[in-house]
Amino acid sequence: MSVSRRQFLKAMGGAGLLYAVRFAPGSEPQDKTYDVFPMDIDDDECVAAILDIDYSEWIVLGPDGKVSIFTGRTELGQGLKTVLAAVVTQGLEIPQGKLTIVQGDTELCPDDGPTTGSSATKYVGWGYWIACEKIRADLISRASRSLGIPVSELHYRNGGVGRKGTRNVLKGAFELGSGQVVKLSVDPRASSSNDKTYVDLGIPNVNAKKIVTGKLKYVGDLYIPGVLYAGWLSQPYHPKQTVLKSTDLSAARAIPGVKMVEVIGGRVAVVAERYNDVLKSLDAVNAEWSVPQRSEILQLEEESRSRAELFEVKEQEGNVDAGLAVSDLVVSETYTTQYTTQAPMETDTAIARMEDGGKRATVWASSQHPHRAREIVSKFLGIPESSIQVIGMPLGGGFGGKTSNPVTMEAAGLARFVEAPVKLIYSRKDQFQLRGRFKAACVIDLTTGVSANGKMMARKIDIIHDMGFGTTNTYTIPHTLTNVYHADWPFKRAVSRGTSFVQTCFAVESHVDMVAAALGIDPLEFRRNNVRFQAFVSLLDVCAEMIGYYNSQQGPNSGVGMAIVNHGGSQLGAVAAEVKVNPSTGKVTVKKICGAFDIGTVINRNTATVGIRGAITWGIGYALYEEIILNGHRTETEDLMAYHIPRFSDIPPVEIAFLDNYQPGSPRGCGEMPVIPTIGAIANAVYRAIGVRFYSTPITPEKVKKALQGA
Amino acid sequence: MAKQSFTLNVNGKDHRVRVEPDEPLLWVLRDNLRLTGSKFGCGVGICGACSVLIDGVARRSCCIQVANVSQGQKIITIEGLGTLENLLPLQKAFVDYTAFCCGFCTPGMIITATALLARNPSPSREEIIQAMDHNLCRCGSYINIIEAIESFVKDQRGEKSE
Repeated sequence: MSVSRRQFLKAMGGAGLLYAVRFAPGSEPQDKTYDVFPMDIDDDECVAAILDIDYSEWIVLGPDGKVSIFTGRTELGQGLKTVLAAVVTQGLEIPQGKLTIVQGDTELCPDDGPTTGSSATKYVGWGYWIACEKIRADLISRASRSLGIPVSELHYRNGGVGRKGTRNVLKGAFELGSGQVVKLSVDPRASSSNDKTYVDLGIPNVNAKKIVTGKLKYVGDLYIPGVLYAGWLSQPYHPKQTVLKSTDLSAARAIPGVKMVEVIGGRVAVVAERYNDVLKSLDAVNAEWSVPQRSEILQLEEESRSRAELFEVKEQEGNVDAGLAVSDLVVSETYTTQYTTQAPMETDTAIARMEDGGKRATVWASSQHPHRAREIVSKFLGIPESSIQVIGMPLGGGFGGKTSNPVTMEAAGLARFVEAPVKLIYSRKDQFQLRGRFKAACVIDLTTGVSANGKMMARKIDIIHDMGFGTTNTYTIPHTLTNVYHADWPFKRAVSRGTSFVQTCFAVESHVDMVAAALGIDPLEFRRNNVRFQAFVSLLDVCAEMIGYYNSQQGPNSGVGMAIVNHGGSQLGAVAAEVKVNPSTGKVTVKKICGAFDIGTVINRNTATVGIRGAITWGIGYALYEEIILNGHRTETEDLMAYHIPRFSDIPPVEIAFLDNYQPGSPRGCGEMPVIPTIGAIANAVYRAIGVRFYSTPITPEKVKKALQGA
Repeated sequence: MAKQSFTLNVNGKDHRVRVEPDEPLLWVLRDNLRLTGSKFGCGVGICGACSVLIDGVARRSCCIQVANVSQGQKIITIEGLGTLENLLPLQKAFVDYTAFCCGFCTPGMIITATALLARNPSPSREEIIQAMDHNLCRCGSYINIIEAIESFVKDQRGEKSE
């Protein structure tokens, strides 16, 4: 990324002291934390050289105590803007009204990578916190030099620097370095601060009032003069496996209000005055599609095995064969998981406008990574990135599905074609079928050896998977081997509120209960005896206490199960689920969920709690309902009726406990992790309730009924 | 289909619009009246993001053709409830209980809850779940939404008993 002088001047608002912050997680915190560059802002090269790509967040201290921050990360509903507002207003001691937060505008904000993986709060929120500490220290030393007063006699206060013991501000931040840039290197995993003042703020979402009055503008809510609606014709088969053979577009073109009906890139596109015209025109298209030859998708497990190629060996410790050989008991099982999708309430949407006779473009997008969108729009249009502005709007949900944003490129292409601004809104069917990016299905083989006294000796895992992978480091096992295989599938894949920890953890935690059952040991005791970290024992005990584990009814038809997760080594969690099974309908009802989490410092209990409850909701959906159903080359689940996302009546009472584990270190995010153990806990509770182990998710009424009838 | 004139009473005011009669009410509210608080989520009445009140009943505006809105029917959208400066108590409860993450489904949730509370000022938790069950929230803020509605009910009761 290069930063232009124009961009810089806009950010500075003409004048200010700019702190460019680089997050360098994992690197040693540098003692020499900053360099000062008096810079010539009339010189493009000078600006570009100083504000290079590594410095991905800007904090500008402007006149009158105003502070502006610029981040490439967008608001998905995870509360990033709220966290940033809380951190910066407190960190720099300024009132809310003096703070401006600019998110996701490629013209103003540096690229900070995609907004995914709970990383926003984890790195960005805490990173700003540490940056504020460094800014305060920098301003004190600047004031010391300027006033000739020793640093030890000065303190930072209310947006400026004053003498200790007094209330006056001697020098405002702006006076101490307007026109200068300070580069700060911040390791978000470390902090010098032992100050708990900024923790657990309990502040409301900064967008709250706009949200409850319908005033928060998502991209579809913008009206650019002369804008037209656009849409794509949906296809009867999976898009990679069919081609358009012939079309008759005359009836579609005859619909009033229609501006364009064309075959573009092998698909039929319509542009019209109104959204309803687009739908009517698409309905009137006559199209013939080629029928796919092979029907390969139905046999997921067999197909996966036949396509699997070893990709990576992970978690290799000791000698797994030797460990299994000396074990007293060995249990081998295979688990499979389904394809699921993000299904955000707001479908992929973008508005594009060509400017300067096609030399420039502005795109408004619902995007988890506006800078990436700018890149693909640039490539598609063949005009340089510097001539394209992508403005990231608040998202109506993303969950990992809005990182690559083909909708932005398509809207831009159509806008150029019709020479008018275009608003492209994916239909719900598009969201499922055409650009639905599925969370990968997996096949997971597990073999575990244990000693007669209940200690895990050896574990081998083979995971057949078609994208990036995560495993769980939850138990102490002397001999382990995990092989990851890739199997190439014809679907686009994406993460979906969490990576592949989800699939692996469901399998591992189900398997752990089965090993315990084979040993005749209570699964909670078995976990307590084998967990890798003491924190897990505390988490399990808290969960057991909350759900009343020791007094719970384990069968018939009701049961309590537990599962744990280690998400990326920093977020630990345990979940207990109580379920009831209706043996005649096969329906599994979750009666209660209790979760205990160690997520480090909780910055904002409100957003953390709603985030965790949401993640538990996703776990329930994954365990019991959600599945992209593939019938040959067709996707059967193309609307929110067929694809059952959890609703009010699916959600039981949920109790959450945070392990009281404040440490002067990074907060770790929590919007994804609780999804994971919820699934295993429900599967284990079902096993306790009816004595049937389900080796595949989701655990649908059909599967339960079949299992009970067969038993 | 030729465009026709319709008079819609929205948020207490009559608006004259010229659209095709089969145009869904949602798009008339959004495109003609720029009331964009009602959202497009599915277009087929499943998700509830487009909910508006028609004579006090929560309806899916994406599935109602404008020609089927009768003259004199009173339409209330989220914009017709409280304002930024002056939230209604139910909206304030949603804020206090962080009853959303991304907020996209929230207008539909508030509209549906408003209709429920008008016909049943003191709903039980089960009645809230039943009334709200066809409004979807993908972020999974359901418990917070229930808590917000329950707190509103409790406050209203408190006021009455005083």
